[in-house]
Amino acid sequence: MKRAGILSLFTLLFLSFIVVWNRSYESGLEDAYIPLDASDAVPSIPSEEGVFKRAEFALEYDKMPYDENHQRSLDTYYENRAYYGAPPYIPHEVTEERNMGGNSCLKCHENGGYAAKFKMYTPVTPHPEMINCRQCHVSQLTASAFKGTNFPKNKAPKAGENNALVSSPPIIPHQIQMRENCLSCHAGPAAPKEIRVTHPERVNCRQCHVLNNKKTADIGNFKKYLNETK
Amino acid sequence: MYTSTSNRRSFIKKMAVLSAMTAAASMFPGIIFAEEQQRNLPKGDLDWKKAPCRFCGVGCGVMVGVENGKAVAVKGDPNSAVNKGLCCVKGYHSVMAFYGKDRLTKPLVKKNGRYVETSMEEALDLVASKMQETIKDHGKDSVSIYGSGQWTIPDGYAASKLFKGCIGTNNVEANARLCMASAVTGFMTSFGIDEPMGCYEDMDHADVFILWGNNMAEMHPVLFSRLLDQRLKRGVKIIDFATRTTRTSMAADKSILFLPQTDLAVANAICYEIINNGWVNKSFVEKHCNFSKGLTDMGYGLEDKYSFTDKPEKISFEEYKTFLEDYTPEKVEKISGVSAKDIKYMASFYGDPNKKVMSLWCMGMNQHTRGTWINNLVYNIHLLTGKISQPGNSPFSLTGQPSACGTVREVGTLTHKLPHGVVANAEHRAFAAKIWDVPAENIDPKPTYHTVEMFRALDRGDIKFMWIQVTNPMVTMPKLKRYRDATKKEGRFIVVSDIYPTPTTDIADVILPSAMWVEREGMYGNSERRTQHFEKMIDPPGEAMSDTWQLVEVAKRMGFEKQFYYNEETHIEEIYNEYRRHHDNDKHRMAPLEVLKEESGAMWPYVDGKSTKWRFNAKYDPACSNGEDYHFYGKPDGKAVIWQRPYEPAAEEPDAEYPYWLNTGRVVEHWHTGSMTRRIPVLHRAMPHAYVELNPGDAKRMQVKTGDKMKLTTRRGEIILPASVNERGVPAPMQVFVPFFDENMLINDITLDSFCPISKEPDYKKCAVKVEKA
Repeated sequence: MKRAGILSLFTLLFLSFIVVWNRSYESGLEDAYIPLDASDAVPSIPSEEGVFKRAEFALEYDKMPYDENHQRSLDTYYENRAYYGAPPYIPHEVTEERNMGGNSCLKCHENGGYAAKFKMYTPVTPHPEMINCRQCHVSQLTASAFKGTNFPKNKAPKAGENNALVSSPPIIPHQIQMRENCLSCHAGPAAPKEIRVTHPERVNCRQCHVLNNKKTADIGNFKKYLNETK
Repeated sequence: MYTSTSNRRSFIKKMAVLSAMTAAASMFPGIIFAEEQQRNLPKGDLDWKKAPCRFCGVGCGVMVGVENGKAVAVKGDPNSAVNKGLCCVKGYHSVMAFYGKDRLTKPLVKKNGRYVETSMEEALDLVASKMQETIKDHGKDSVSIYGSGQWTIPDGYAASKLFKGCIGTNNVEANARLCMASAVTGFMTSFGIDEPMGCYEDMDHADVFILWGNNMAEMHPVLFSRLLDQRLKRGVKIIDFATRTTRTSMAADKSILFLPQTDLAVANAICYEIINNGWVNKSFVEKHCNFSKGLTDMGYGLEDKYSFTDKPEKISFEEYKTFLEDYTPEKVEKISGVSAKDIKYMASFYGDPNKKVMSLWCMGMNQHTRGTWINNLVYNIHLLTGKISQPGNSPFSLTGQPSACGTVREVGTLTHKLPHGVVANAEHRAFAAKIWDVPAENIDPKPTYHTVEMFRALDRGDIKFMWIQVTNPMVTMPKLKRYRDATKKEGRFIVVSDIYPTPTTDIADVILPSAMWVEREGMYGNSERRTQHFEKMIDPPGEAMSDTWQLVEVAKRMGFEKQFYYNEETHIEEIYNEYRRHHDNDKHRMAPLEVLKEESGAMWPYVDGKSTKWRFNAKYDPACSNGEDYHFYGKPDGKAVIWQRPYEPAAEEPDAEYPYWLNTGRVVEHWHTGSMTRRIPVLHRAMPHAYVELNPGDAKRMQVKTGDKMKLTTRRGEIILPASVNERGVPAPMQVFVPFFDENMLINDITLDSFCPISKEPDYKKCAVKVEKA
């Protein structure tokens, strides 16, 4: 009896060990679960939020001296775009073919800086949160064409002619989807000289500069209506 | 229109750039044109003259560039303490509002249902004779004038003098009733004297900014830029406390959303926290504050001839403390949807003695069926902590119109008001009558109709004649359909003075073409008690005439030559000097005209050649006379009032049939009803029409995307608007937002005309609506 008791006790202990061990092994396989904070449900408005994104650097932008020997211009800015509004292709060699942006492109293109190799300042991306860069930006491995093309390259807006009045702030002549963050292209040493903002510290850009690309409907002329009434 | 700059360039010479450059160099940061950007700027021989901006109540100083008798350019006035050289997109393009193709240039008189052009002489004759005839047939209280916070000071003054002084009716109202009345009653009940104690300079001193239902990035963009500037330089905090996520929320350090109407509960909870944590500034409260309570369950003014008079009753601090026990952050969390943590977070800034706090608000708190209460409650917070009347510690009520303060509130173009004091007070009547050169009995001691009731009286037929100047009530009145139908009734005569055809001129019997802004001389008064003068810079088109002179001409025709003795060349100066006599005391002295012409505005009380920046503080305000550091001299005992005001629900809350909240408001590009800004091509292209903003979750459930047609239905009617999802703003779930600028999509047809019983200001921010795909 005594021996049976001891044996069954050990069997019980052994079984429970197996159960506990299995349980803990299985739960170890589960992914970590971090509960999302439901209270922080303030929706974001990309077109509005983007404007303020690089605002924390505004004062630094203001202090940066212009390096006149290595400025970009609108001509070079549009040079590596298939048409006005197209994503620029990559004008330099790419060594890491399989990397995501965070490990490669963004190292230089998130905040910019002087690239001695190319003797120019690195353009800053307006959308660093999108890290699959090569989805839109491609290399150019050859200068030749498979067949020729008749594609008509549409004209880009010029700087200095988008203001309605003498000295009134220019409108935004381009669409801003994925380019909501004004300072990334309009401030800093990589900004094309024609569109570099003189007042980067005024971070609420769209207080003065508005888009003009909405479809307009006739607002109606009430004078005509006046003569017809009753 | 912006494409035409290249043509203009050919004949404009070098001077513009030179003057722009010199101005820019002296300017507060930036706004210098880089060489590259300057290359294509039009060059010209422009004559720059200073003016306050035509649009909102911020009152930016602008320089208007005139060439060959046309206003062709605008830049910020670097000498203006308001904006220091910066404008917003409306200001920069404001002069384009002069040149809309359909500008009214000749008077139009309705004959057999058609408008016939006539001469100004004849039109004014008709207005005067019609008014006399109406008074003869139906009594003096059957004629009325409805003006605006866009009236210049002389416009409002001439109107008040003609109607209150000469004709003897208190049927004088202005659209500021629809935007500022709750701010006024808030000041009157808490401090006994109107308008902010602080000024914009507070923004350069405060550490924390709490925006109460105020989308400042769009509505007061120049001031908001000043906050952003301070954040870059000093690391100040901006907290957006609102019902809707906006551009302001995006820029703010923290965005806290509350359910409509529950700001009352949250403000009380902040006071509870302040008392509970021992953050009360005891010596300040003991010396300078009283506690009072008023009537509750006041109703919402929905019925005709509704009237309400509050009965203030003094209470003790202990009673007030007991009252606040219903407003612990935990209890308020359940009403407001704001977490107790966030309430405590906001309270901690007010309570921290080392932090200077500025509260800012505008229509969110004023267009509120308990507008006076919520104004009182925010003052409570500042009074309990003693954070008031000091640089950087400032509860600040912003305004929306260029002269809501200067004209409507200071000249007093409201039914109960006189330039100095109120009609109910015999002394005040006698004082005004003496300056107006009329017998004191002429001024009626009894106020008549506030704005909503005035239109109801028109509907009922108690009012037969109404003269509307510089405003567009047929776009802005709540429950608009009733009031539009009222104007069309038989036996009503409506005169409208305006610069463009609007839905309001559309109901007029006589349309008078007005001279606008710098087409005439005038003054505006902005939110910070700053009076600004502008000279006549260009000629008005055709027969257009200033509203002041229209009133003078009609007054003369009605036989009041003695009172309206003014000379056409100098009448603005004569009127201003006469007006100043009403405020000839240290609490409200106005700067002389020479000063206004010279400087970019001056702030009243203007005493011994100096503007007063902080009122009620003995260090800055010479009117303080009690020997203490602070003196709230608006009240007879020199003490401000901390009010016990409870939370009460809105007049119409969502239910099963109308499950959404409807909120209305503005956008940065358009101002007021868009009758000016929509005629500016740059602004129209940026914001061509109204829309209904939906919460993305609601949109997804209804399978709606931007541009889809939506039908909004309230108990007043229905309207169809395109949807907007995730664009300019995002309302909270089960709430929608519609801007009101669009005369082609009149949202006010379906809004509710409930109002604050104390201020009589309607609540445009809350009613129940059904939202479906059209």
